[in-house]
Amino acid sequence: MNKQTRREFLAKSGCGLSMTALAAQSHYFGLMNTLAQKTSSKPLQSVPNDYRALVCIYFSGGNDGNNTIVPNHDDVNVSNYAAYSAGRSAQSLALARNSLLPISVPRVGGLTYGLHPGFGTVTGGINPGIHPLWAQGKIAAVTNVGTLVQPITRQQYLDGSVPRPRQLFSHTDQTNQHQNARADTVVLSGWGGRISDRMTIPANPDGLVPTVSSLGGSRLFTVGETTQPLAIGPAPTPLSSILSLVGYNNTPVTNARFDALVAGLDADMSNEIVNASNEVHREAIRISRTLNNGSEVTVAFPNTEIGNQLKQIARVIKARTSLQLNRQIFFCTLDGFDTHTSQIAGQQSLFSMFSQASRAFYDEMTAQGISDKVTQFTLSDFSRTFNPGGSGSNVGSDHAWANHSFVIGGAVAGGDFYGMNTSNGTPFPTLVQNGPDDSDAGSSARGRWIPTTSVEQYAATLASWFGLEAADVPYVFPNLQNFASSDLGFMQP
Amino acid sequence: MSRLPHEFGEIMKRQLSKAAFLLLFALAACFPVIAQDDPDPNSAAPLLASGPDAGRVLAVNTRGWWGGLPSRGSTIFTPSSRTAITIFVSGIATLDSEGPNAFRVYIRQQSGKTFEMQTDNLTETGKRTYAIGLRLYDAQGFRGQPVADGDSLIYVTWRGQMSNALKIGLGSMGKTKLPDLSPAAAKSNNTSVSDYVGYRYSGDRKRLMEQATFGPTTNVDFRIRRIGLRNWVNEQIDAPYPTIPYPSIPQMSTIPPLVCQLTTNPTCYRERYTMTPVQKWFFQEAMYGDAQLRHRTAWALSQILVTSGNTITQSSHELAFFKILSQNAFGNYRTLLSDATLSPTMGQYLDMVRSTKDNPNENYPREILQLFSIGLYMLNQDGTPKLDSHGDAIPTYSQETINNFSKVFTGWTFCNQTCANSQPGIINYKDPMILVPANHDTTSKTLLNYPNAVGASIPACAGCTTPAATANYAQTSLNAALDNIFNHPNLGPYIGRLMIQHLVTSDPSPAYVARVAGVFDNNGSNVRGDMRAVVKAILLDPEARGDVKTAPRYGKLREPVQLITNLARLFPARDFNGENPSDGALAPHVAPLGQNPFYSPTVFNYFTPDYDVPQTTLNAPEFQLLNSGTAVKRTNLLSILVFEGITPNATDSLRGISLDYSELIPAAEADASGGQLVDALDAKMMHSTLTPAHRSAILSAVQAVPSSNPALRVKTGVYLIAVSSQYQVQR
Repeated sequence: MNKQTRREFLAKSGCGLSMTALAAQSHYFGLMNTLAQKTSSKPLQSVPNDYRALVCIYFSGGNDGNNTIVPNHDDVNVSNYAAYSAGRSAQSLALARNSLLPISVPRVGGLTYGLHPGFGTVTGGINPGIHPLWAQGKIAAVTNVGTLVQPITRQQYLDGSVPRPRQLFSHTDQTNQHQNARADTVVLSGWGGRISDRMTIPANPDGLVPTVSSLGGSRLFTVGETTQPLAIGPAPTPLSSILSLVGYNNTPVTNARFDALVAGLDADMSNEIVNASNEVHREAIRISRTLNNGSEVTVAFPNTEIGNQLKQIARVIKARTSLQLNRQIFFCTLDGFDTHTSQIAGQQSLFSMFSQASRAFYDEMTAQGISDKVTQFTLSDFSRTFNPGGSGSNVGSDHAWANHSFVIGGAVAGGDFYGMNTSNGTPFPTLVQNGPDDSDAGSSARGRWIPTTSVEQYAATLASWFGLEAADVPYVFPNLQNFASSDLGFMQP
Repeated sequence: MSRLPHEFGEIMKRQLSKAAFLLLFALAACFPVIAQDDPDPNSAAPLLASGPDAGRVLAVNTRGWWGGLPSRGSTIFTPSSRTAITIFVSGIATLDSEGPNAFRVYIRQQSGKTFEMQTDNLTETGKRTYAIGLRLYDAQGFRGQPVADGDSLIYVTWRGQMSNALKIGLGSMGKTKLPDLSPAAAKSNNTSVSDYVGYRYSGDRKRLMEQATFGPTTNVDFRIRRIGLRNWVNEQIDAPYPTIPYPSIPQMSTIPPLVCQLTTNPTCYRERYTMTPVQKWFFQEAMYGDAQLRHRTAWALSQILVTSGNTITQSSHELAFFKILSQNAFGNYRTLLSDATLSPTMGQYLDMVRSTKDNPNENYPREILQLFSIGLYMLNQDGTPKLDSHGDAIPTYSQETINNFSKVFTGWTFCNQTCANSQPGIINYKDPMILVPANHDTTSKTLLNYPNAVGASIPACAGCTTPAATANYAQTSLNAALDNIFNHPNLGPYIGRLMIQHLVTSDPSPAYVARVAGVFDNNGSNVRGDMRAVVKAILLDPEARGDVKTAPRYGKLREPVQLITNLARLFPARDFNGENPSDGALAPHVAPLGQNPFYSPTVFNYFTPDYDVPQTTLNAPEFQLLNSGTAVKRTNLLSILVFEGITPNATDSLRGISLDYSELIPAAEADASGGQLVDALDAKMMHSTLTPAHRSAILSAVQAVPSSNPALRVKTGVYLIAVSSQYQVQR
């Protein structure tokens, strides 16, 4: 394969430009035509500062949503604190009522719910956490969301009359289904990657690095059918050295070595596997030359795994102009949510790390003047059983299904719950084992809530804000058509 | 095959000195089948016949073709599933068993895309001349179909060898210049007389070591040269294992005791509650062990029947499972399935320990079918998918099948009280799981159905009135269910292809898969599932053996673990000071490359066997780990390993690692031009396949190092070859 420009590379990778992509590209160059007007809902504009980024924070292991957002009211018409406490206090898994951080929820008649205390001021913290953003309308919760093939009632779930997601309650499959937005089959691309497939050419025609950057390696979310992510390491490694080769010190010996290394990339074209490997190495060397700027953040980030990942993302975003990017998608992970045991201490620690890092990132985006251009959102494998496993200090919970997710940023219509209503007429599930929202049945039912909102609906709302053309939605979210609403409304128009 | 004893005899007559003959005679006494039926490694390249225009393929429409070699054919064809054409190859001799699926016909278009055409039939039209009937259609079609855009290039591969590439007009005869796709000149490097003894091609010996071990060594090379590859494979299969004793790790309580917590006693925690000791032992055995083929096979199996330290928290538990794999590596796959199913480690990893009749878990039943035995779709014997009348793949099972297998697998759990390794307060991962009769589902089950199915259904238990009766029923049902899986016709092609991918090449020809699957079905003594015979069939196949493989899709990207172990064996690894063997603490360095041994991210392994390089139809599983970030990390780790060595890590008290280049120093010292050194490295690392351009680039860098520093010259050469994709693809 000959050396080629990024643009040619992308054009080639598109399997031939679709009419939609052509239309979008015409937009980009200001060549509006009727076709484009018909197919585009949110035209991209080639104006400076038309920048948008999605940042996925993945809670790996299955975060317990039941202790993430807790009813903190006494209304008897929906599950209240007493209902929550009844299910969890005997085994010491219920959070104390006075520890909850209050949030008011207009969608549920202004009732008060509570966030986990890890989301507020914490010992050793460097900022107030994300809880204060609720009152400022910068954080929203999408509740009772999960993997679905199509809407399913409890009765349909129990009698098997409607397809269920493949392999519920399995880490592997549920992780993949959150990341590829396909609960009905195995697909080897993620929805972040598929957005990139369709948006790279129109949005980043001259981008020096791929649209998607992964801080966690080749995760399914980031891999497209035709585009690949840039995989980079977290801070404290400076951006300028994440792709730099070691052992070269500008001496004649190492300069000759580098020349030979580069020459080796084109030295044998006879094997396609060799060529494909060389292509990746060529790309890495090329990108390393573009990332050699000293972009640095101004806000303090916590020195944690997630803090360093978000810090690195903030640096890349700061370098967006020189990287010639208008749209970016990032992926980072926080591990350790598989709390079969020791959940109280575990979740406190994990949420503190998440909240501190997420708030620092939000503040950094504010400092960069683009808080309304960058949206963070969370995903996880699944939620956990309402009924605890074990008791005392070792208490934990087991694999379940529907969960709560957070969306954070200046463009979020925050301070409320979003998603489809459950059986109780609110988007928050009824906290009763063997109750109307439980996929378990019988006396041993443990409270694994059936989702009322699908991952696709949640993801498509984010993608729409990001600028994915309506015509490209079926490509990215083939099952979205199975659901009534494709925009949950949590992003400001 | 029948020619081989004759050829071997010729070689013997020509080459053997009296002393060597005596030596061979002595060895022959030990190995009665010495080298009698080694396959001919010299698979010729097929020559694709051209028409009157020497650059254009000789091809005819199959309909109306008279059956012989025509003098001229048609020049323009329409790409379509209905267009059947016939092309002609010569210069080769096929085995009786080789049909059209032994040949792969590729079309490369002006777009740069390559498509594999569907081959339908093979006819012998003359001496060493064959007609291949094919459809101008990509049967997989994942990335579309060839289009009528004028001249494309067509070429054929057979046993890993590529034919000449010729033009074929699709829709029209275009004038656009096409890339030069002639195969790399196959270099035979059998120049040394000693290379003839026992086995002809030194390059093929090295390839065999790359396929069957964790990296070539001079000693193993010498051994294969003396006894022949077939005897060496037999010797490997029977070799005692492991060489480095398994670490002795006690089973611990689920919650670390005070004396073994991460914060207060990190050393204890690391040895017991992380995979560190298993990783260190694994690398030591890979670097220094004698039973390399068993270790390599067990490692491959561990990437098919996956468990992971992500869920399995104790090293003793993971080691117990790896022992099952290594013990069964050359046993029967049925036994392996049984041992893996009742392994507490697997039970924990895929939730079978928690599966009860009231709450059956689908995790293990799904994965044993999807990943450990038959896969998602019905396969032909050659590993290609069977298609229904609509051209769609046929699922092997349904959700209903999973539900039924789930019932079979209910009630099994840890043996915490009554087994040899039961200890109070500690979960027993060493003895197989046992049945809790009250938790077993005794209703009837409908399992896999296939022609001549074994155990397609299990009746409800009529007499399960006592725990003993239920236990008996459960065990019988489990055996029946595993027999039902084991006898499914998919097993041979499915497992065979996976093992080929792990050992030899990512995209084997269907004929290769079929040969291996045939051995899986019947080892020659009417035994099904004999992995000893399967592994031998994989390694001794003509597609694995022979001189330089020129097929453009032959080979596999070295996974991170093997990238490093190959170097550690080529240039014997020692600790950082070069005084003692390495302690094998390589995992922390390999993990950032995407493969943390014994910590597979999921049951789907570090990479999926179906992975295609994005935007291509190139099936290359290990590429799932290769991205811009890991590419640089590969290069950087090699820089540190080759030039500096990995320094001991104070917190872990590890010994570090360095490579020993003493074997190469004389070549570096003897020739100030550097040529001898580069040629020696070319032979040692590349089977002497460096292209002139690559060789000259490396030579320039070597020459930039003063000849007074031979060690740095060696390191420079090793590094530049090791970081090159040409080396990183095993082929």
